[in-house]
Amino acid sequence: MHDILSVLSLNLLMSTIRLTTPILLAALAAALCNKAGVLNLAIEGEMLLGSFVAIVVTYCLNKYTPLGVVNPTLSTYLGVVVSILFGGVLGVLMAWLHTKWGVDLVIFSIAFNMLASEITVFLMRAVFHQNGTWTDSSIVQLPTLAGGYNIIVYASWICVIFCMILYRATRFGRHLKAVGEAPEAAASVGISVRNVQYIALIAGGALSTLGGSFLSVGHLTLFTRDMAAGRGWLGNAAALFGFNNPGGTFLASLFFGFADALALRLQNVTKIPPYMIQVMPYVLTLVILGFVSWRAQKNAQKYQL
Amino acid sequence: MKKPKGTYILHVLIPLIAIVLGVAVSFVLIALTGISPIATFRELWKGAFGMTGKVWPLWITLGQSTPLILTGLSAMCAFRVGVFCIAQESQYVFGAIVAAWLGVALSLPSWILIPLVLLCSMAAGALAAEIPALLKVKLGVNEIISSIMVNNISTLVLEYLVAFPMRADAGQKAQSAVLPQKLWLFQFIKGSRWGVSFVIAVLLAVGLYFLLWKTSFGYEVRMVGQSPRFSQYGGVSAGGVTLGMMAISGALAGLAGSMEVLGNYHRIMTGFSSGLGFDGLSVAMLGLSHPLGVFIVAILLAGIRQGAQLGLQINLQVPRELGGVLIALIILFVALENIYKPHVEAWVKRLEGGKTKAAE
Repeated sequence: MHDILSVLSLNLLMSTIRLTTPILLAALAAALCNKAGVLNLAIEGEMLLGSFVAIVVTYCLNKYTPLGVVNPTLSTYLGVVVSILFGGVLGVLMAWLHTKWGVDLVIFSIAFNMLASEITVFLMRAVFHQNGTWTDSSIVQLPTLAGGYNIIVYASWICVIFCMILYRATRFGRHLKAVGEAPEAAASVGISVRNVQYIALIAGGALSTLGGSFLSVGHLTLFTRDMAAGRGWLGNAAALFGFNNPGGTFLASLFFGFADALALRLQNVTKIPPYMIQVMPYVLTLVILGFVSWRAQKNAQKYQL
Repeated sequence: MKKPKGTYILHVLIPLIAIVLGVAVSFVLIALTGISPIATFRELWKGAFGMTGKVWPLWITLGQSTPLILTGLSAMCAFRVGVFCIAQESQYVFGAIVAAWLGVALSLPSWILIPLVLLCSMAAGALAAEIPALLKVKLGVNEIISSIMVNNISTLVLEYLVAFPMRADAGQKAQSAVLPQKLWLFQFIKGSRWGVSFVIAVLLAVGLYFLLWKTSFGYEVRMVGQSPRFSQYGGVSAGGVTLGMMAISGALAGLAGSMEVLGNYHRIMTGFSSGLGFDGLSVAMLGLSHPLGVFIVAILLAGIRQGAQLGLQINLQVPRELGGVLIALIILFVALENIYKPHVEAWVKRLEGGKTKAAE
């Protein structure tokens, strides 16, 4: 009993919030793309590239700046900003391929994730001559602000609120819904499906790479191979688990983050295997997916003539 | 009705172009790191299909291609029935788990035990494949998403099993006990991993060709894959055919996992599969979902991975991830086929036109 009580502590809450942040950002990205009717499975790869770009840019700004010495903290912030922009560019690329050329984003994403996973290690080896983990003493972690978390944590919460307002109370939110649910109908009333999907994929990419940069320069100050470690997929799961709503997505991500934190904590404090808890998000998502589809099927039958 | 010859040429041209483009981009990438790309690819070729040394690299590549042929065939079966199932990874893992478990737990004569283990692994793989298949057929759940969940579940189950119940030694590495030697599958050349399992994989590829193109079940499968509603009107039970074919698909991947345990690793450990499922997917896509294509591409991809593994890093300081990068680039260019396909189509048509004119 004592063991179980000692597991629940303030520490657990803190690590829950820290572990939730990347999942939440990925989940918001996934939910946004789902709402726009594009299944974005590249989030895992975008996250990984995001964490790589953030730490490499930070390093480069520390080392080779033409503008004299940059404050190391500032260069970390700039690293995050560049990473976000990079995510946006990835989003533009995906949207262009999808809307202009009709490229199948699922196959593209599978290849993209594979490429992200391999090329980051390739570059780590070729440029930094490291194979597992790379870091440099010049890299400074994102500073914690008032309240004990860094800016990305707060940004993720703001994004949740922003998405709530965006979906509920704006014209774009209504367009998003229309495009996701009935693209032909949306197009027939003059909504540009193309633009909506562009915006969703760009914002999705930026959110994913922001989540990635949290891993490499926010939570730690290093890059390891396959750093995203399935958090992108967890984001995809959390979005579905939360019915693509910002609130639901937030709660689902929080739950997944809690499961992660609890698993870590249990590993340290007790002998209970962490895997039982880590597997929960995936099992529950499968159940929820089954349930949602079952309900949709029943409703469809009910309204059939 | 026979398809015009041009469409066949077009089908084969697309993967070839993807391969050429993938090689071209990695050429640039290697050149950027300051190493000669030509030397790199020569080394890659030697490491993949070389015929020197005590154990020829070619034999090792053929050995490595065995699980790829099977997971590729597995993905092919799913594609052919119109299910974009990407859960080969999980079926492979579950097959391997069952093999590592039964191989240690049961003590029977090896001539009963080996087939029994293989069959049980196939059943495990088939059951794993039925999760996304049933969810799709009965409830209409997107099979891609459910596949991802099942993949993640299988990874965690594997990690749990080798860390706790099946853990063999208290050492650093989480791994299961080594199987008794009588269960090890025969290898043609010692240390090459190329053995009896390769022959089984090839026989299954041939068998699947006959199943898909020479039987009525195969006809139904292809019909369901192309248009489930049409096949329903034709009196085919689309759901039943899908579930049946998905069971075959899962069994193939499960068999791959099982034969890797019996013929290669003789145990399971964390990170046992390391993306093999996704490679199977790539094999099926690049191999045009055809058994012959799957066979050729599996050997090619195994060669790329193997060639990058062996000499590249030691002799030239080229990161061994080059193999993975090259494969990913090739699949990327397959995904981008829409961009260059019209040009290729026009080119093929012009070629065809030229030929018929010449014949006249």
